Amino acid sequence: MTDTAPQSTTALRFPVRTHTLANGMRIIHHEERAAPIVAVHLMYRAGSRDERPGRTGLAHLLEHLMFEGSLHAPKGQFDDQLERVGGTNNGSTWLDRTNYYETVPSHAVELPLWLERDRMGFFLPVLTGEMLEVQRGVVINERRQSYENRPYGMADQRLHEMLFGAGHPYAWPTIGYMPDLERISLEDARGFYQTYYAPGNAVLTLAGDLSAEQAVELAERYFGDLPAGPPVPPLALPNDTAPAASVRREVMTDDVSFPRIYQAWTTPPYGTREWVVMDVLAYLLADGDSSRMQRALIREGRMAQDVDTYLYPTAVCGVFGVVATSRTGIAPETLEAAVRQVLDDVARGVDDDEVLGAVRRVRRDQVSELATVEERAEALSYAATVLGAPEELERVLEMYGEVTAEEVSRAAAKWLGEERGATLVVIPSGNPPRDEDDFEDGDDDGEEVEG
Amino acid sequence: MSDTMHPAILPPPVLGAPPVPRVPRPERYTLPNGLRVISAPRAGVPQVVLRLVFPAGSAADPKEYPGTAGLVGHLIVEGTARYAAEQLHARLDLLGASVNPHVGHDFAEVELVLLSETLREGVGLLAEVVTRPSFPGHEVERVRAESLDALVARADEPSNIADDLAALEVFGPDHPYGIPSFGTEAGIREVPREALVAFHAAHYRPANAFIVAAGEFDAGELRAALEEAFAEWRGEAPPVVYPPAVPVPPRAGQLAVTPWADASQSEIRIAGPGLPRIHPEWMKAGVANFLLGGSTITGRLGANLREDKGWTYGVRSHFSAGVVHGGWVADTAVDVGVTAAAVGEMVKEMRRLMDERVPEAELRRAKDALMLSLPRMFETPAGVASRLAAIEAYGLPHDWWERFAGEVDAVTIDDVREMARRHFNPDHLVRVVVGGGIEE
Repeated sequence: MTDTAPQSTTALRFPVRTHTLANGMRIIHHEERAAPIVAVHLMYRAGSRDERPGRTGLAHLLEHLMFEGSLHAPKGQFDDQLERVGGTNNGSTWLDRTNYYETVPSHAVELPLWLERDRMGFFLPVLTGEMLEVQRGVVINERRQSYENRPYGMADQRLHEMLFGAGHPYAWPTIGYMPDLERISLEDARGFYQTYYAPGNAVLTLAGDLSAEQAVELAERYFGDLPAGPPVPPLALPNDTAPAASVRREVMTDDVSFPRIYQAWTTPPYGTREWVVMDVLAYLLADGDSSRMQRALIREGRMAQDVDTYLYPTAVCGVFGVVATSRTGIAPETLEAAVRQVLDDVARGVDDDEVLGAVRRVRRDQVSELATVEERAEALSYAATVLGAPEELERVLEMYGEVTAEEVSRAAAKWLGEERGATLVVIPSGNPPRDEDDFEDGDDDGEEVEG
Repeated sequence: MSDTMHPAILPPPVLGAPPVPRVPRPERYTLPNGLRVISAPRAGVPQVVLRLVFPAGSAADPKEYPGTAGLVGHLIVEGTARYAAEQLHARLDLLGASVNPHVGHDFAEVELVLLSETLREGVGLLAEVVTRPSFPGHEVERVRAESLDALVARADEPSNIADDLAALEVFGPDHPYGIPSFGTEAGIREVPREALVAFHAAHYRPANAFIVAAGEFDAGELRAALEEAFAEWRGEAPPVVYPPAVPVPPRAGQLAVTPWADASQSEIRIAGPGLPRIHPEWMKAGVANFLLGGSTITGRLGANLREDKGWTYGVRSHFSAGVVHGGWVADTAVDVGVTAAAVGEMVKEMRRLMDERVPEAELRRAKDALMLSLPRMFETPAGVASRLAAIEAYGLPHDWWERFAGEVDAVTIDDVREMARRHFNPDHLVRVVVGGGIEE
């Protein structure tokens, strides 16, 4: 085995061709012939940030309704037709966007296009109160299963309320508040659809085993005659898009066995150089057993079961988070102080090798994540939706190779100060534990925080 | 919308012939020490996925210490003869590599994900952790303590409790599949370091192991790296002895309810022993399962509980792969208030598949869905490695994936009914509920 580290890796390349239909819909093509499949990805620039108070969860509930049929593909047809040609499909809603995507063997590429056309052009005539009631039930169960009935499941919602306060469009959860879910009407769903589900507000990516000419021709055929629709209203933004926390610290109880701390800070938005620097910082802090927090909190400090960092790739601002769970007998304040110590240390300086390793680990994950045409289509659609053009994806990936140690520590100092962040401490419903000096303990691989 | 121009009604597209799936034909060879190598290079993504697999899962646990295999799997990356744990992690993290041990019931495996340019160094580190772990005392105690806390944290989640109870009800406490592969609280607490060292020495041996490599690499370079890194490694592990075949569970057909205070949902499991992965009826059973609960939207369970009634976010069923069984389970989480009705509907759908002939069109659709999923399966290095590992682990024919479509296509309406009667008979399955809204 050699003792020299390899050279820094080169950034990934995703060549694209773009085209815009007369109705404003943007088309992206990316060729990749490794497997005989095509990913079709339709992204609307509409997310939970576009909802209004009292109707949170509307964007996501509408996404569910979109799978319940359209005029020429009635209920049940959508999944049925795609499955029988060997395709998969799904949709998701987040802060800035809603997406619908299908992956099919290349012979069937026209089927998802036909189905997406139908629900972009012919959805409202089939939307009924009965459909709404069934999907309201499904979404309420999704909320129970993923949040209310899950340990620590309510923490993220409260953390974001604390971080953003009223008036910021990221303050409420994408799944929506329970009373709002019960209140959403057919008119609400219709209104959101009419406002945002128009060709001019959509990006369509075709990635995989097809040519650029074929992609453009199919896009024209299936979407070219859809009416452009009204202009989309601009998002009302607060004066400070990346504010300091409106509530700095809070404690909540949950039916759990161990205390856990959640901390979050706002950062510059996705696509900026500072966002990329923060992403490297997230890896440097907690990805890999030799990372700063894994060492300080788990391996040497022996006070945490798990620690994780994350950074949202969001448009209005980014969100940087740290989550750590106490080992048996460790008070959450001890954990909080240790996290603060690491952040202060990092703000004073990091090594070049730490940055190099972190950048390689980012690249390793990017290679894995972007190995499928489905993921590439999403990343390209997202760059076009949030940053204005699919080519921005390569620009973002390239920036990682330029990040310096000095930039990393400066970003930590600037954005992760104690006075800017929100800290939510979740403690077991029983008595909060106190430190026990002579007790050894902790857990395994840590809970992923969903982006 | 007020636009005066209305879009045309386009006819549904007429599709051509499906593409021919590109199933990789790997190179297979055996090193002098008996380690089998399955090498499937393909340019495209600058990544290599290596999976080194041993028959050293929890089924090989010493009887008195359930959890031994799991601890060994996690401790091999916590220090070796050459590197202290922190040195090892610093090297791996600087390479940008990830090493993921996974210990199941039948197998222990180490997955190494590398950027292509670091292949040689990565293989060297893989050999180091697999062949020469040192089990430092302080790391053993730390991982032991962490594992015990993890057990406590895991029990906070009703879905975990339901999974564990279903396995216990089906297989019983004396079968390795009856308890989780990570072991028991007592086993993890009490297993001495020497037993971990002995387990590794006995079971992490090349003659029963195999390694799968997929991604972008040079086949000759891989072979040279493996031959160099694993040259000193020798020996053969003792065979894993499994208990005899699993009978119908003693509490089959009955409800086992675990109340959960303030639950907003009930976790439901209807479960049985399934069949071994090598069983000739595996594909027939798989098609029958796909009809019942293979898809949460279009499967019969999902069409009923989710799409028709809105009682749940998801309901599915699946067979797990195993050397001697593996298990079959239908699982869901529903509103507490409809728990009893949901169990009733699930049982009804299972009986319907046993009693009524599945319509030809529904079967055709399921078979098409499965057959045409093949082109997607070999898209990524991780996908290729996973599919090739399955062939090797369970001793399937090397051309399994090439025969896959034909096997699916051959399944008949009678096969489906027979499989449903054999595997989905609610009178022979256990019914586990964690939550409320129902009584035993």
